[in-house]
Amino acid sequence: MRIVVCVKEVLDPDAVNSFAVAGRLTIGEDGTSLTQSAIPRLMNGYDEQALEAALRLRDAGASGTIAVVSIGADPANILRHAAALGADEITHVAADPADRADRAGLDGHATAALLVAWIRSTGGADLVLCGRQASDDDQGVVPALIGEQLGVPVVTIARALALEAGGDAVRVTRVTPDGDEVVLAPLPAVVTISSELGTPRYPTAARKLQARRAKPAVVTLDALGVAAAAGAPRVRLLRQWVPALHGHCELLAGAPAEAADALVARLIQDGAI
Amino acid sequence: MAKVLVCGWDTQADGLAPGVEETLTLGRKLAAALGAELGLVVLGSAPPDAARVAGRHGASTLETLADPKLAAGGSDARVEALAQLCQAHAPRALLMPQTFDARLVAPRVAGRLGVPIVMNGIDVDVENGALRVTATAYGGDTHALYEIAGDGTALVCVSTTALRAEPAPEPRTPVVEEFPVDLRTVTERIRVLEPAKTEGPRLEEANTIVAGGRGLGAAEHFAWIEQLAEALGGMAGASRPLVDDGWVDASRQVGLTGRITRPALYIAVGISGASQHMAGCSAAKTIVAINRDADAAIFRHARYGIVGDCHEILPELIRAARAHRAGGS
Ligand SMILES: Cc1cc2nc3c(=O)[nH]c(=O)nc-3n(C[C@H](O)[C@H](O)[C@H](O)COP(=O)(O)OP(=O)(O)OC[C@H]3O[C@@H](n4cnc5c(N)ncnc54)[C@H](O)[C@@H]3O)c2cc1C
Repeated sequence: MRIVVCVKEVLDPDAVNSFAVAGRLTIGEDGTSLTQSAIPRLMNGYDEQALEAALRLRDAGASGTIAVVSIGADPANILRHAAALGADEITHVAADPADRADRAGLDGHATAALLVAWIRSTGGADLVLCGRQASDDDQGVVPALIGEQLGVPVVTIARALALEAGGDAVRVTRVTPDGDEVVLAPLPAVVTISSELGTPRYPTAARKLQARRAKPAVVTLDALGVAAAAGAPRVRLLRQWVPALHGHCELLAGAPAEAADALVARLIQDGAI
Repeated sequence: MAKVLVCGWDTQADGLAPGVEETLTLGRKLAAALGAELGLVVLGSAPPDAARVAGRHGASTLETLADPKLAAGGSDARVEALAQLCQAHAPRALLMPQTFDARLVAPRVAGRLGVPIVMNGIDVDVENGALRVTATAYGGDTHALYEIAGDGTALVCVSTTALRAEPAPEPRTPVVEEFPVDLRTVTERIRVLEPAKTEGPRLEEANTIVAGGRGLGAAEHFAWIEQLAEALGGMAGASRPLVDDGWVDASRQVGLTGRITRPALYIAVGISGASQHMAGCSAAKTIVAINRDADAAIFRHARYGIVGDCHEILPELIRAARAHRAGGS
């Protein structure tokens, strides 16, 4: 069994949120990307959970390899993190150098095309795991595009998965608005992982040390036989900005009982309760 | 004539999917900018008011795609049906409200047809003949303007919470047609072993929501959230950390990746107001914030706020709400 996990490097979303709240989130001179020198970069949270899902399958007895792949400017750090967590192979698909980590230069189709070309070049995958979306652009389209390009089923927003006895299907628990749904998908398949999977493991100190020396395999477009045109974006980020927020909050002061009474009175007056 | 299509298949017994009218409003704007015709598409049999809604929003056609395989709700049938529709009409844009199902089906249709797609759309426009979509990013911390190259079909999933549906100045009487889909070759590859079953009312439909966050401090304090919700005749919600830590069930999570709610009243207790949380509640008519940090982002969204310790305020608020309920106060 070959499990491919696709991971993306993003700006730490908690840090981005803090900058936003402090009114210090700014856009660079290019007009498209966040001024990011002070914001740490890390593996997209859902992607880390996708890797966790792969590791749990292995813990549950799945044999074979877990291959982690990333496209981006320089994903070596997150790939080493993947190695420390237990990935057997780590690969950097090096696209256009103009491709920044926020992927302003590659749209979903181009990203999926490169990942699919790489997956095919490595003999295919039985299971492709991705995070449900990246916390930077929140688009969440790449997994479905990979599924369509490979011609395999796509199951989204999983909280748990288990391989069927024969290893030819995966049983997935999805988090839907109507509660959990359990489905069976024949392999190969693409599955996207949601936060409900739970906290990913931490690498052991020994593994971390070992992974420091791990070097991701670097694959170029030429090597994949992908024409540069395949990477030409049709969805192009023109501008990004921080929306203004005009708050007008009335603060209710006083002791807790007073403030509570004042709030209820306001809500009654407004007809809100 | 060029076409802009809006698709809402999440039909409910009593009407169209929530968000279809807001999406039609954006669709009408786009159609006007392109000099195109607006059409509404419904997968499955159209609810009785579909033609009226389509007409009210200026759609000149209402197309239904009826096939028993669509009624079953599988995504393979839906993807194939929408792909056939796009191939037949070659619309400039296919817009749909970003429901849970649309998040999967729309990008798959885009993948099948090899056409561009943008999710989380909040606005659409045309500049020099090119389609432009404004979408949220970083949970809403930023807005992003995307330009779509070419003049082929583009798919846009619309995040409708912050949008207002505005009927067309001139209503129309749409031509109602059935689009002939051919789903003979479709066999759903994914088998549902255990269907989801809603237990009780859904947050999406709640009129009042009291939501608790990490500021509650301990799992047992969520009981206060439930008590206040009950006293106000509403439902209890939560921020993601409470779900992550197993304090509450995932069905309680409000936000970008949880429930997108639209209550009249949303009371956020011990919630900082991160963009990803606000994406699921900012459309509330009235937001109340209770937080001990006067600088918390939530106060920028709130109409009323109490700065203080929720452990002291919640019991008092429950008391006051119950008194109001009992006809006192
Ligand atoms: C891609 C992505 C998707 C996400 N999706 C969601 C989502 O769908 N929903 C969601 O909620 N989050 C989501 N998040 C997480 C989100 O970014 C925030 O981390 C989360 O909403 C914070 O939850 P919180 O406000 O409860 O906790 P915190 O941010 O820790 O805030 C706790 C608040 O409680 C206050 N407080 C502490 N003690 C007290 C007290 N005694 N009395 C009163 N106030 C107190 C503090 O001042 C603080 O403001 C997502 C994040 C990412 C990156």
